[in-house]
Amino acid sequence: MPQKNQSKNVALIIGYHFTRLVMAGVFIYASIDKIIHPDLFAEAVYNYQVLPRYLVNLTALILPWLELTLGTCLLINRWMAGASALAAMLMALFVGMTVFNLARGLDISCGCFSAAPDDDPITALTLVRDMLFLIFSLTLAGLVFIKNARRRSPGSPMR
Amino acid sequence: MTVSSRTGQHFTDTFRQAVFIILMAMALGTAVNLIRPDGIPFVASWSMADKLVTEEGDTLSIPLEDAAVLFADNAAVFLDARTPAEYEKGHILGAVNLPWHEVDNYFETVIMTLDPEAMFITYCDGEACSLSHDLALFLKDLGFTRVKVLVNGWTLWKEHDLPVTTPSS
Repeated sequence: MPQKNQSKNVALIIGYHFTRLVMAGVFIYASIDKIIHPDLFAEAVYNYQVLPRYLVNLTALILPWLELTLGTCLLINRWMAGASALAAMLMALFVGMTVFNLARGLDISCGCFSAAPDDDPITALTLVRDMLFLIFSLTLAGLVFIKNARRRSPGSPMR
Repeated sequence: MTVSSRTGQHFTDTFRQAVFIILMAMALGTAVNLIRPDGIPFVASWSMADKLVTEEGDTLSIPLEDAAVLFADNAAVFLDARTPAEYEKGHILGAVNLPWHEVDNYFETVIMTLDPEAMFITYCDGEACSLSHDLALFLKDLGFTRVKVLVNGWTLWKEHDLPVTTPSS
C-alpha cells in the first residue's frame, strides 16, 4: 500500500506543477500585449459592451497587471492559494463573456492574447480553449487545497 | 488541527492572498499608466457617435428617425456592411450587401454601379460594430460625398419594426 500512496503523491505533485506552469505561461503571455497597448485593449474591452463606459479604461489598465501578477505568483510558486483561486475566477469570467458574446453573435475581437482589434476573433474554438484553461485552473486550485491541507497535518509528503 | 479549522485557514489564506494580488495589480496598473508617456485617461466617454467623425470633423452618424424618413422617401441607398450570410438571414428592405471584409470582391459588381452623388447609409449590427464605419470612410475616400452611418443599424431597424427582408418574407 505505501507504494500505491507514493505513486498517487507523485501524480499529484506532477499535476500540481504542470497546471501551475501552464497557467503561469498563459496569464503572463496574455498580459504582455495588453500592457504594451492599453489603448487598443481598452477598445477591445469596450467592444464587449458589458461594462459601464466609465469602467472600460480602468479595467483595461488593471486587468493585464492582474494577469501578470497572478501569473508571476504561479510561476514562482508563491501565494498559490490566492493566485490559483483568482486564476479560476478569471477563467470562469472569460468563459462567461465568450459564451455571452457567441450567443449575441457580436463580431468582435477576443482581446485574449492580443490587444489589436482585428486579431483573435471570438469563435467556438476560443470557448473550447478557455474552458480547457478553466479546467486547468480549477484542478490547480483543488491541488493547492490538498497540498495545504496535508502540510498542516502531520506526516505529509506532498511539497 | 481539525479538518474544519484547516479548511477555514485555507480559505482565509486564499482570500488574503487574492486581495493582496488584486491590490498589487491595481497599484502597478495605475503607477505605470501615470509614468508612461502613452498612458490613457483613467475614465473616457466611449461613445460610438464620438468616434464617427471624419478627418474634416464632420459627424458621420445619422439618427434612426432621419434614416427612416430617407427610407420612406426612397432618398437613400442602404448598404449592409455585414457578411453575405448575415445579410441573407435578414436585412433592411432594399439594402445592398457590400461586405466590408471582402469589399475588393464587390468593387466592380456593386461599387462601380453606385451613383457617387446619391445618399448612402451604411449599417451593420451592434453598437460597437465598426464595419459600417470603415465602409463609410472607404466610400468617402473614393469620392462618394453623401455617406452616413446608422450605428447599430440592423438591431435598431428591427426594434422599430421598420421594413425588412428575411428568408421567410
